[in-house]
Amino acid sequence: MSRTILDVHILQTVPPSNINRDDTGAPKSAVYGGVRRSRVSSQAWKKATRNAFGELLDPADLGVRTKKVVDALTRRITARETSLTAEQVWPMAAEVIQVATGAKIETPARKTGAKGGKGDPRGEGAPEPQAPQSSYLLFLSARQLDLLADLALEGIAKKADPKVHLKDPEVKSRAKKAAATRHSVDIALFGRMVADNTDLNVDAAAQVAHALSVHPVDLEADYFTAVDDQNGDAEPGAGMIGTVDFNSATLYRYAAVDVDLLAANLDAGLTDDERRAEPAPGPAPAPTPEPVRRAVEAFVEAFTLSMPSGKINTFGNHTLPDAVVVKLRSARPVSFVGAFERPVTREGTGDGHVRAACEALAAHVPAVEESFGAAADHTWIVRVGEQTEALAPLGEQVNLRELVGRVGDAVAERMGKRG
Amino acid sequence: MSVLALRLAGPLQAWGSSARFARRTTETAPTKSGVIGLLAAALGRPRNADLSDLAALSFAVRIDQAGTRVRDFQTARHTDTGKAMPVSERFYLADAVFVAAVAGDDALVQDLHAAVRAPVHLPYLGRRSCPPQGPVDLEIVRAADDPAAVLREAPWQAAAWHQERHRSRPSVRLTLLAEAAPGDPHGTALRDQPLSFAPSHRRYALRTVVQTSVEVPNPRFQPGERHHATATGRRVPVPPPRHTPEAHLTQLPLHLPPDGH
Repeated sequence: MSRTILDVHILQTVPPSNINRDDTGAPKSAVYGGVRRSRVSSQAWKKATRNAFGELLDPADLGVRTKKVVDALTRRITARETSLTAEQVWPMAAEVIQVATGAKIETPARKTGAKGGKGDPRGEGAPEPQAPQSSYLLFLSARQLDLLADLALEGIAKKADPKVHLKDPEVKSRAKKAAATRHSVDIALFGRMVADNTDLNVDAAAQVAHALSVHPVDLEADYFTAVDDQNGDAEPGAGMIGTVDFNSATLYRYAAVDVDLLAANLDAGLTDDERRAEPAPGPAPAPTPEPVRRAVEAFVEAFTLSMPSGKINTFGNHTLPDAVVVKLRSARPVSFVGAFERPVTREGTGDGHVRAACEALAAHVPAVEESFGAAADHTWIVRVGEQTEALAPLGEQVNLRELVGRVGDAVAERMGKRG
Repeated sequence: MSVLALRLAGPLQAWGSSARFARRTTETAPTKSGVIGLLAAALGRPRNADLSDLAALSFAVRIDQAGTRVRDFQTARHTDTGKAMPVSERFYLADAVFVAAVAGDDALVQDLHAAVRAPVHLPYLGRRSCPPQGPVDLEIVRAADDPAAVLREAPWQAAAWHQERHRSRPSVRLTLLAEAAPGDPHGTALRDQPLSFAPSHRRYALRTVVQTSVEVPNPRFQPGERHHATATGRRVPVPPPRHTPEAHLTQLPLHLPPDGH
């Protein structure tokens, strides 16, 4: 079986900044190639990427992670059936979620001291009723909530008792299936863990490495003094003093996406009919690659443009990449971090790091691919300025818009052939 | 019987054998469960599949470049509730290179070799954020049944800069961790013999590990190399001078006081 694997390699320079810090407030670092490098953790950049999805994808493609799943489901039900009040829906909604996910659903204990609670000396009136909640955070996609809302509405229409309605084996199996189908794009890419019901765990399709600087990095500190505006001449001196640690770096960022796994995650549990029922009116009976295309395009764009938000107001390090190399492969992903194991050193030449990093990468990529017979099927390059000239021969030069489109087309074509 | 040797190198690796909850530690060398997991993933086995055939492979690992331990402090916040989650510490090995070897039936090792070249699930070095640098498959040795013996012969895989650092030595001594029968007096127990990777209940048994050392040649040995700049322009460290705090003092002529005091 031919595989589809996408590698994304990015060189990006950040000025003095502290985008990902440890518990001492210093930017994270690691030793590589025998010298200390700046490091931005994988989880920091994944979070930034996921946040960027909000602007790129339809909310229906994104998941929500909350304990208030009953509330979320109830809102969906009452939006469709406006005659119902939330309290009428809660028992059925709670039962549906409990059966579908195996999560424990309970009405939260009232905080003492709250109005009408035990600690309220006045004890005025009835307490505001609360929706039941799950005991831990559940991650459900918009589509999963829609499917569960269908089931709950059927039960409500029949005026059935929630427990009886969900005892019906057919309803029960549909509920369980609903929770395991149609993972949202962010779940399909970055995975999900459910503590009690491991059937719902999803293996992430994307791997993101910790970003490392291509050159040795020293930690610098900014000593600051702050003036107290209300101090008169009688109190000269600073209102407070302190230090902020920072560094500046040209980072190598790497991510790989297992597109086949992504497709499986997005399609999980769908029957053939449901796959064809996608809004693709064409006569082709092949499974539609559309959701996969959307997810891959969103990932490439979001990973490229995102920036972790640490200390961003202090340093304003809103940079864009100097160069992006994207490769589509059919065997295994290849990280080119080895190009920078011998650190790029340009101290005192006044030439910066970007040019030397691009030269090192341009020499390393064909060398690795030839030595190990790991040539890519497609290579696209987005680069900025003449400093990145060395990367030009590696592949087809495009701008970011074109890159996202080409990657989407290539993935859709390969996924379509698979069916 | 054949032996498959794997080169496990990357900027960061993490091999936990007792990493739980908020403190995720790493051993100093790849664990058997980690490497078997990598192989099972490459074959495309589901997490709850039977892995008795892979767990039965005998295993050894060599530390070619020990690297350093990195502590990663991680906070998390829920997107929807905005609440902070428990902070966790994750430990990584930075800048390390290992060679691991597994021995088993010819057919199975052949399959594993093909699988790591075209893996079903993307390989990673103990933690998903640690992709390997360079190919994982090093070599396949036929008609061999002892992974430790293969590791005694395999060339030194450390990075070029690391080998150059040792260029005054014709060979280097590396740590080799091999399996032994339970109760071996030289062994220590490590809980990394995989029984099941099922996410609902991962189970590991104890395994007895014996540490020995092995001498391997240094391909970057330069005989007679002393203190002069190398081709890379890096200065060779000069040994510090002997500590003689009185060296700059000059001996004054001894004058006897004229009054005899």
